[in-house]
Amino acid sequence: MAANSFRDYLDLLAADGWIRTFEESVSWDLEASAVTMLANVRDGPIPFFQSIAGLETETKLVGDPYRGPRSRPWDHFARALGFSAGLSGRTYYDRVIDRLHTPTEPRLVDRQDAPCKTTIRTGGDVDLLSFPWPYIHEGDGGRYSNLHTIVAPDPDTEWGRWSSHRMMLHDDSQASLLLLAGEQVPNRYYYDYEPRDEPMPIAVVIGAEPTVECTADMWIPSGRSEAAFAGGLKNGPVTLVECETSDLYVPATAELVLEGHVRPADRLDEGPFGDYFGYMNGPRRSMPVFEVDAITHRREPRLPFCVEGTGVGYGQNSSSTLRVAAAGPDATVGLRAAGFDVEMAVPWQFTSRTVWVISTDCPYPGYLHELANFIFTTWGMLHIDFFVFVDADVDPHNPRAVLSTIALDADPDADFHQFGVERMPKVPLNIYQTPDEKGSADVGTSKAKTAKAYIDATTDGDPKESTSAAETRKQAQERLVEAGLDAGRFDRLDEREGESR
Amino acid sequence: MIPFAQYVQGLAGDDDLVHLDGPFDVPVDVLAGEALRASGPALQFERSNGVDLVSGVFSGADLMQQRDAQPWSRLSLGLGLDPDATLVDLLERISDLGPGAVDPDPTYTGQSASGTDADVQEVQLPQGEADTWPALTLGVASVATADGTHWAPIHGSVVSGEKLRVRVPDSLQSLLSDDATITITLGVPPAAITAAYLLAVTERVDTPIQSCGVASAVPLVPTNGGLVPSTTEIVVETKITDRQPDFRSDRREAWEYVTKSESLSLSVERVLTTDDPVVPVTPVGRPLADDLQLTGLTTAAALYHRVNNYWGISPVEWILVPAEAELGVCFVASDVLYAGFEWQLANILFSFSSLFDTVVIVDEDVPPQDFGRVLADIWLKAHPARDWIFSDPDAPAATRPRYRRDGETGSRVYVNAAWDPRWEDTYIAPRVTFENSFPSVVRDTALALWNEETTS
Repeated sequence: MAANSFRDYLDLLAADGWIRTFEESVSWDLEASAVTMLANVRDGPIPFFQSIAGLETETKLVGDPYRGPRSRPWDHFARALGFSAGLSGRTYYDRVIDRLHTPTEPRLVDRQDAPCKTTIRTGGDVDLLSFPWPYIHEGDGGRYSNLHTIVAPDPDTEWGRWSSHRMMLHDDSQASLLLLAGEQVPNRYYYDYEPRDEPMPIAVVIGAEPTVECTADMWIPSGRSEAAFAGGLKNGPVTLVECETSDLYVPATAELVLEGHVRPADRLDEGPFGDYFGYMNGPRRSMPVFEVDAITHRREPRLPFCVEGTGVGYGQNSSSTLRVAAAGPDATVGLRAAGFDVEMAVPWQFTSRTVWVISTDCPYPGYLHELANFIFTTWGMLHIDFFVFVDADVDPHNPRAVLSTIALDADPDADFHQFGVERMPKVPLNIYQTPDEKGSADVGTSKAKTAKAYIDATTDGDPKESTSAAETRKQAQERLVEAGLDAGRFDRLDEREGESR
Repeated sequence: MIPFAQYVQGLAGDDDLVHLDGPFDVPVDVLAGEALRASGPALQFERSNGVDLVSGVFSGADLMQQRDAQPWSRLSLGLGLDPDATLVDLLERISDLGPGAVDPDPTYTGQSASGTDADVQEVQLPQGEADTWPALTLGVASVATADGTHWAPIHGSVVSGEKLRVRVPDSLQSLLSDDATITITLGVPPAAITAAYLLAVTERVDTPIQSCGVASAVPLVPTNGGLVPSTTEIVVETKITDRQPDFRSDRREAWEYVTKSESLSLSVERVLTTDDPVVPVTPVGRPLADDLQLTGLTTAAALYHRVNNYWGISPVEWILVPAEAELGVCFVASDVLYAGFEWQLANILFSFSSLFDTVVIVDEDVPPQDFGRVLADIWLKAHPARDWIFSDPDAPAATRPRYRRDGETGSRVYVNAAWDPRWEDTYIAPRVTFENSFPSVVRDTALALWNEETTS
């Protein structure tokens, strides 16, 4: 059975031994994130901080709760969705994709039935800084909330548009939001509300149930609702409740909800911040202002945060896990829906927001160009610089297999394709542009344009090394497990794995 | 340096070798390949004929996962280093085994392999899943010329008790007379097989081992095919019967991607074994196979040595031609001395090796054991328009990739994933790390908290 709340999810993790509770007081000022970074680096359990030093608060901090085990980053999400742990990447994707094909509309609940309304503060009682927002890295521009779901109005769906954008706290009622034009919610602000000089109502939902967190990381097409896909994922409706100060709806089981609006024609400093590239990036820029009108929360709210920058290289954190566990299956569904013969679209495990690997058939000449063109002009526009296309029988979850096929099958003469050289937009979070090139454009993107590239690492029908039959490999793995090798290192329990190289 | 049997015992003592008892329903090469895919330990196949096989002894953990051990940890142990030795220590130790050693001082001892009744078929070398005959892998061929003894890798098939079909570097074959004797050794000290690979990948098979560092490192004994390591597990003396047999195996050990090879038919003259021989085998053609690792590491050692002795200084921190990339990419960490040095570096590597068409340059502070960072920096630091640099399409295709096997020319590419030396210091984004992102007092607190919890 799927987890119906963030607390349910934490309980599941605890039952599996994946939670480590810290009874000692820990400061929000770097200490909680330092411990979380250790947990991330060591592939250890999720830290749960019971007591916050120097602050009278009942709020608990949870460090990178969505980070999955390195060997199978999707494992925790599999449990949250009611699947068993230990699934291979292929099987996990198959099951999530099945769920995404059956969206389920949300169910509305009354305020009194919504746990997130246990405490309600509005107007002058709003006190953002009474919560232990973490200061995550030395050198960050401020304290951040960076693991939340932003609910914004959408004329095409009743339930609004869900997404995720980091938020830097300024005082008891104001924060700046990193809104980068090109994404759906920022576009709504920059090209709809702000030109009309209207505030855009939003709600920042912290500690939403796992499927909500998942869908906020997906690219749901216009006219479709993240709320329905979240219901599909959990195989049952997500419960929503109306906001106190706007007509937006928020997940009723959320830990904490900040209601407010993004002011037009107003900016506050934002950044620098050690974001997903694994490097501190700046410069400090001016970003739209979120003014908080109301705060509602559960008793003893759990406030999750992500130590960004630790999800590159060998490391995993919440955001890198969300890419592989949520965005990947969603992209696979989206590409198939667009008519492409894609087997799987999976973020590269070492830098999950910059490179993706897509296993696919190539049914006609020019197919990969069309596929790349489609992605680079839609959901891959801002953050993703590279795609690697591999044969359908190469498992994109297996980075060694992918690296091998790049080395052996991607001809520098014919298979490396640069798109729109110095003509394409880019987020300023990258580290390969100079500060001058990033500039301070009004709508968030870098001043200088860049390029995108794709690598055709398919075999083009060239001969490739043969592999043993799946059954023989399975027998070998079973024999090795009998001899004492760690069963967790083998894919023998997954029949589909035998199909891959 | 240590004999092969002692090396295998050492791996077992480090819990890095698992015993499998025969009989084996699944082919040995499949078992060996699956253990390597899983970054598992070396395997020892215990068999009723008294000849044990071992696989994975020259390979190791997959670099794509963060592990305590590295792909080169086992070979480091075999070459007399600590298993935790750095990659550079290993590359330098490998180079020391090759030509150019100062006054090598060979030692000569008695032959450990003394049993002479054995038939080569009685050794029961394993027959791979796709093989017609039992396969001989990870052998070292030894031949004697007027200049001395020459070593090279050798592999092949056991066609009958008296007949072998083998592949050797053509540079070895060119040293041989029509009826020359070749001694094939199986289960030599790690230093000996590493030296044989090094000589092959550097095209120096014509250099007698008496002029190589390995002569000082491995005790030797004379055979009809020249000097061989005295502790060798199995010695097979053969004579050439056909220099141009009508035989072409699809099987290639990885050194054959670096240097041309030729087929030979051999007649078996004599087989010597130790009392309880143990023979290394590699699952040729499978990911991370031993021959792939040996070829990658010896190639990297040769490149590291040449590059760092070329400009009068040593800007290169390390070089890897990893088995994880099937030897098709060269990764190099270097100080980018000046603008354009990265171009010079990539292209000199292309000059020194025809194995790969792709070079990736990372900053000198990226450690080779943090390969995950390498696999991130390629895509993070390298500007997609400016730092993926393609040559004119006039270069010959590299020998390892599968494309352009028809001799057509094309481009090479290097990826500059290092900071631009022209950038101001303020442009260089600091990395998010435990050390960089927290002051020492916070780090101490976090470590104390973590350790308290982990030990409770």
